[in-house]
Amino acid sequence: MNYEVHQKFLYLTSLSASCLQFKMLIKSFYNSILNLTFTPCGNYLVSGDIYGQITVFNLYRLMNPDLNGPNLDTKPHNSFTVQEDVQINSILATESFLIVGVVGEIFGYTWKVVKNSKDGKVAWKIELPYSEVLSKPDVNCMVAKDGLLYAGCGDNKIYVINLEGGHIIRTLVEHSDYIHSIFNAGDELASGGEDGVVNIWDIRDKEVTFKIEPYKNDGIARNNLGKWIGAVSISDDWLLCGGGPKLSLWHFRCMSPATIFPINDQGIHYAEIVGDKLLAGGRANHFYNMAFNGDVVSQIPTSSLTVFTAAHQENPYRAMCMAGSSPKIDICSNFNYRDQVLTLE
Amino acid sequence: MVKETSANSSRESSIKKRRKNPIGDPEVESDIYKKVIAFEEKEAFKRTAASDIKLCLEICEHIRNIMLEIVELRCRKPPDFAAKLYDKTVQGCSYIIMLKKFNRLDRVRMTSSREAIATDRHKNDSTELQYQNLLYESAHLSSEIKKCKQFKSKDEDVELVSVEEFLQDAPAAKTKPFKNYPNLDNTQKHELHLARLEWELTQRKKLAQQCSSLEDEKKQIAADILKTKNRLSELLPKLVTVLDTMKPLHEDLGLPVEKSYVEERQRFLLPDPLFIFYANADGFKEVHGINITLNILGEQDEAIRWKESQNISIFQNDDTDAENDRQEIEESVEVVKKRRHRKASQIDKNEERRKLLLEVHPLSVQLIIHHKSGSVLTMQFFYLTSLNIIAVTSDVQFSDHITGCGAKEVLYGENILKELFTGDFGLDSPNPLNQYQLKKIGLNSYQSLVPTLGYVYSWAQKVCGLEFLMSQRLKAESSVSGRHIDIVMNALNKRLGSRTSLAVQLQQLEQNVMPTVPESVDMPQNVISSLAKWTSISWQNFCEATCTAALLASEMVSSSDLFYCATITRTRASIKAYIAIQNDYPKQTPIFCLNAFCDGEFHSGNCDQIRDMERAVNVEWSNSSAHSATWLLAAQLRYLCAYFDVFLEIQSPVTYAQNAVFFKNMCGRNKRRPFKFRKVGTGFFTQF
Repeated sequence: MNYEVHQKFLYLTSLSASCLQFKMLIKSFYNSILNLTFTPCGNYLVSGDIYGQITVFNLYRLMNPDLNGPNLDTKPHNSFTVQEDVQINSILATESFLIVGVVGEIFGYTWKVVKNSKDGKVAWKIELPYSEVLSKPDVNCMVAKDGLLYAGCGDNKIYVINLEGGHIIRTLVEHSDYIHSIFNAGDELASGGEDGVVNIWDIRDKEVTFKIEPYKNDGIARNNLGKWIGAVSISDDWLLCGGGPKLSLWHFRCMSPATIFPINDQGIHYAEIVGDKLLAGGRANHFYNMAFNGDVVSQIPTSSLTVFTAAHQENPYRAMCMAGSSPKIDICSNFNYRDQVLTLE
Repeated sequence: MVKETSANSSRESSIKKRRKNPIGDPEVESDIYKKVIAFEEKEAFKRTAASDIKLCLEICEHIRNIMLEIVELRCRKPPDFAAKLYDKTVQGCSYIIMLKKFNRLDRVRMTSSREAIATDRHKNDSTELQYQNLLYESAHLSSEIKKCKQFKSKDEDVELVSVEEFLQDAPAAKTKPFKNYPNLDNTQKHELHLARLEWELTQRKKLAQQCSSLEDEKKQIAADILKTKNRLSELLPKLVTVLDTMKPLHEDLGLPVEKSYVEERQRFLLPDPLFIFYANADGFKEVHGINITLNILGEQDEAIRWKESQNISIFQNDDTDAENDRQEIEESVEVVKKRRHRKASQIDKNEERRKLLLEVHPLSVQLIIHHKSGSVLTMQFFYLTSLNIIAVTSDVQFSDHITGCGAKEVLYGENILKELFTGDFGLDSPNPLNQYQLKKIGLNSYQSLVPTLGYVYSWAQKVCGLEFLMSQRLKAESSVSGRHIDIVMNALNKRLGSRTSLAVQLQQLEQNVMPTVPESVDMPQNVISSLAKWTSISWQNFCEATCTAALLASEMVSSSDLFYCATITRTRASIKAYIAIQNDYPKQTPIFCLNAFCDGEFHSGNCDQIRDMERAVNVEWSNSSAHSATWLLAAQLRYLCAYFDVFLEIQSPVTYAQNAVFFKNMCGRNKRRPFKFRKVGTGFFTQF
């Protein structure tokens, strides 16, 4: 009798399971990944998607696949949900915490929780001010410097938050639309927004030192795509930015475009200066690795329609990971071609 | 010399005389004689033969000397010659007598030693004899011992209960001496064995007695059974006559007894699987009160004939099979010889075999489900006796107001049952044996038989108690059926309902009317975009559309789904939605694949916003309840219209004035559009 009941139960659950599975499948099919980062130890890759889920992959396993065992290496190491169906706008890896920016709130998770815990216990939480519930600001980008967290938000502001106490100690207000990207190098902080403006801040006196508007440059502007700046990156002498306008490299002091990159894209969402290389991705079929003079060193085909994020590291494993509007993460270990593709479930 | 000899002889004779003298007095003489003999014997043993020989040799030396002296005397002839000669002769004679004496002694000794030898030999012989006797005796004894050792007693062959059991079961009086069982000496062991044997004997006697008594009882019961059987067989004709006489009465009173009686009879003529199904479905009907009707169709007489011939036909089948095989072998041998001749008969044989294999039981069960929406699903279950599977044909009667082609198509019998459970199309036989059986008659799969015989859904096998995957059981089992019947019946009922509601929606859509959605579901109001065209398309068309590539690659749609294309327009802009409706709608939400046209072609392969819109249309409903069949498709379409408004109003606000309410055009690094409807007041759109 018990056996029969059990059989029946199995039968019913298998029916509903297949249905549920299908729903999960279609949901995952439309997933997008907005953020990727490595843990400080470099052994794990962390991603955040539009369904509010943080997924952790074991990079060691990916780089040293166990050829004999079952192929579980591409399976996530851990995953948990921050807020159901609220997209994760930004994540930042610091020494002791994974900082997750969602909508109106910033969460801190200890690495132990991130790597091993399914329920995702929050270590701390910072709430950003908002006027009404519906206009909670998205935390689109974050950088940390000297115990301060800079968060570029959907309410056009950059909040400077003391990570010790979680207080907002200053608000940088200069943009007229929401902020897409901020980047820190030395004492300078660059921010790019939907308003098409790139502001360079001096983080000591909290003032805008330079301001450029690429969409006003005829050689760079693409009117059909809009004026928004999707990504900024700075080094000592150079500034790289792109978005609706073409990807362009500016010299810091004279504030004029030095190189306009001839890549075939419909909007830049990711750009970064890495040593003597430039990385860029967006609504394009490839992810680009270029030299300062505009030569394309390599172009890597992407699994995503649009690349929103990329993460790279040299140690302990040389790896570059890209992701965007698809549930897939491309991994390349030599910056030249795609080695592996991971899929979020 | 002569003299001497004469002298000697004279001496001898004198001795003889002396000897003769004592004989003269017989008494004294014999006495003396005996004494002499005794003395001599004594003397003989006193002296040793070796010393005597020495003495003899000395005496002979003396004699020789005397002889020489005599010769010397005779030659010299001294004066006293005669005297001296005499002396010497006497001397010599005495020596000779001495010699004689020694001779005698020697003889005595010899005889005595001979006697001793004789006695010794005798003794020896007797000892030898005794020894031989003993030897023989010992050989005999050892052979006896051997024989004893080889002796086998019958009791060793008797199976005895073990010692422990014996000690436990046998009466205490018998087991008492063996209390310390493992340490018994030999005699005790022997006694124990005897006791066990005795115990065994009594036990066996007892059991034999019991056996015979039981046998008697059995005989008695058999006789009783026979008697009762006879009585029962006598009863049947009587009952028949009673029933016959009752018939007019029933007819007059209009009682339905007859009908259910007929049904009952038919029921027992059903083959096992159909009977199980009938019984379980009937039970289900009684308990759940779903509006279903069960009928048994077919010729009753044929069914009786079939049932009767069933046993025989099984044997025949075996025979003919074997025969066929044999024939095939023969044929291969003489294939050249008789090819033409055989061909015709072979075709006949094949045809016959085919007929036999595809034999359908004369009775079938009809199941009619009446859904409250007015649709009636009629299914007929056939039992293929040789293939041992259930085939189903189905038909749907739907209400008159459903007239559209697409709508009707959804309700066709075989469509409605398609994939009642995932992957179950009913085209391939679920019985793994069938593949080989069908190959034998030249068919590759069951699929080609579907039009003539019906669909072989695996749920149909299960409700009829046939289960093939779990084991190779060929018997129908009621428990299998019982386990599945309510699931299947509910699924059928639900499927009929959902299909009807889908058909109603499709019917309206075909007439370019947006179906209504109940108030309880939050719907955006004041939507400007509207449905312009609704068509049914083929799998081919669906695959050819530019926007469906990614979806096809993900294998979330399959050729067994239903495909439609909806066109939604707002002034010059339009969006085409390729829609795949899975067979178990609404459990799985219809999948929309979008292709927008407004200053260029946009789809999920080149535009993140369209991809996000698709996500919103397809995914947002994943939590919808099962009762959404009547409006799910319509709701999705209405939302799509609203989303398209939002999309256009953000994409080119100049051309399309904002009508929908949303606060942020876009947000986040992915420039996310507000594709989430919130029913607050008149309703507005947000990103999250």
